Amino acid sequence: MSAAEILTAPERAGHEGASPLLEVEDLAKHWPVRRGLILARQVGTVRAVDGVSFHLRRGETLALVGESGCGKSTTARLVLRLIEPSRGALRFDGEDITALSGASLRRMRRRMQIIFQDPYASLNPRLTVGEAIAEPMLVHGIGDAASRAARVRELLGLVGLASFHAERYPHEFSGGQRQRIGIARALSVQPELIVCDEPVSALDVSIQAQVVNLLKDLQARFGLAYLFIAHDLAVVKHMADRVAVMYLGRIVEIADKRALFADPRHPYTRALLSAIPHPDPARRGRVKPLGGDVPSPMNPPPGCRFHTRCPHAAAICREREPPAVEVAPGHRSACHFARELPPAGLDFSGGLTPAAARRLALFASAGRPAAASV
Amino acid sequence: MSATTAQPAAEVRPPRRAGLLRRLLRDPGAAVALVFAVLIVLAAVFAPLLAPTDPYDNDLSLAMQPPGSPGLPLGADSQGRDMITRLLYGLRVSLLMGVAAVAFGGSIGALLGFLAAFYQRWLDGPIMRLMDMMLSFPAILVGLAIAAIFGPGIFSVVLALSIATVPLMARIARSSALVVMRLDYIEAARATGMTDFRLIWRHLAPNCLSAIFVFGTLRFGQVILLGSALSFLGLGAQPPTPELGAMASEGRNFLFFAPHIAVIPCVVIFAIVLAFNVLGDALRDALDPRLRV
Repeated sequence: MSAAEILTAPERAGHEGASPLLEVEDLAKHWPVRRGLILARQVGTVRAVDGVSFHLRRGETLALVGESGCGKSTTARLVLRLIEPSRGALRFDGEDITALSGASLRRMRRRMQIIFQDPYASLNPRLTVGEAIAEPMLVHGIGDAASRAARVRELLGLVGLASFHAERYPHEFSGGQRQRIGIARALSVQPELIVCDEPVSALDVSIQAQVVNLLKDLQARFGLAYLFIAHDLAVVKHMADRVAVMYLGRIVEIADKRALFADPRHPYTRALLSAIPHPDPARRGRVKPLGGDVPSPMNPPPGCRFHTRCPHAAAICREREPPAVEVAPGHRSACHFARELPPAGLDFSGGLTPAAARRLALFASAGRPAAASV
Repeated sequence: MSATTAQPAAEVRPPRRAGLLRRLLRDPGAAVALVFAVLIVLAAVFAPLLAPTDPYDNDLSLAMQPPGSPGLPLGADSQGRDMITRLLYGLRVSLLMGVAAVAFGGSIGALLGFLAAFYQRWLDGPIMRLMDMMLSFPAILVGLAIAAIFGPGIFSVVLALSIATVPLMARIARSSALVVMRLDYIEAARATGMTDFRLIWRHLAPNCLSAIFVFGTLRFGQVILLGSALSFLGLGAQPPTPELGAMASEGRNFLFFAPHIAVIPCVVIFAIVLAFNVLGDALRDALDPRLRV
């Protein structure tokens, strides 16, 4: 059972009332671009992340989606204070962590962990799996050697590996197994927040399901909050409670997953959603793919950043930057026409006949235990 | 859905992995090199027990006797001293100089290289410019300066060779550390909240070891040659102290009449350098868990 399924509606409402675990306000990261060998002049600024605000509640999954280079991963690293923000504020559990440093920052790191995209690069090849999983506990002075070893065995079991795997080295494992080792390492210090930086995009599709289900399982068990970076909307639809769509360093739309998929109020979100392949020949020709490229973050277009590719762009879009407007409770969209946009005209049920949809659902429910036990 | 977490892995334990030594000996070339290196080191350590004569015992009537002369399997040098004895004692001095210079200069250089790569923003420029300055002085010049300060002798040679090794090792360590620094596991280590010292010691340094090992062994050979050159210039081992390089340069004058005086020490230097290079290469492979079978 996943958290989303366990929690009933009133419980969810209660969660929403509680103070958020993570609050991000106007966060920005600008990288200077320098030219010249000896006297490097700054010739420009890459606005990788340019004023991002969101919050994340305990036990919740917020997905950050967007094209490559839109600033998702930079946002993730900013949240973890692995890189220094150029602007903005970070609050974790009510405490301002924007300026933490030294020992207090290291203590804070225990409460938020990260899972990486590339399971081959994220484990130190010189440490055994046991050493890698025990190290965060050692660093934070948790337990003694024996209790840490016991905890390593427990964690390995939790992620579906055997306790004797602790003595092995990372290169002896497959990509999916390594990803689960990375998850065990992140869990070892019992964090409250885990940043998942595209945790399944480097894995085979069959393994993706395992890892995603494992993550949901662990969330239900330990009440973890996930900041889930992804570009695969199918995975997001399965994982997330809320979704934030990023474009060129900004969040253009943020909403509850259901609201976002059912009634997207930003043209970019619509373009992303319409790019999901559907097994429906009748849809062919009705979907217009987005033309053009993402503009350079060194020189973002004036006004709305999306106007160069937007099918609904008007004069105002070229001149004024759209503020994020609340189109429904918890649903904000940064578009001048957020309220006026015509119905999306996309049938996200997949455009299937009801009978075919039922058959597919049956197939999915029958297939799941088989897929999970691979 | 708990099926995903309770996935039982096959309870089959793998056979115990071979130890470092056995992995090393699996490669026949490495085995030969290891045996040779061990013999060389033992010969140097037990030189006083193995040498047939005293290294300073000369008998001018035997001067330049060719190898194979009665009682002198490798002949005698220009002073009529037994070549075997001279070689055994020469090994001691040469090996000691090489080991000391590579260990001392190499570890300082590696540390500086790691610091430059790790604190790239603040330390990279200052440290590496300092290394460039050090690189611009030839080792011989450094040796001359140090001999002028401390007087000629083995200590001066070791110090000069260490100083000459520092910037080279710093460059090697820095470049391989820069590659490792970009990998996710360094970021993962930082995200766990460990201290910089631990990060460098446990995560950065071990993953740069292979480059350092290979360079260290290569440098060991170069250092022995450089030390010999310094000895030849009169800055290092002082005659009559036996030293391989000094012996070779001494024999240079008699190359046409008694080539063995120069050739034999050169062959020994060559063999030592070759053996340590092969050994370093094999050690790197044996130490790398990714290549373990």
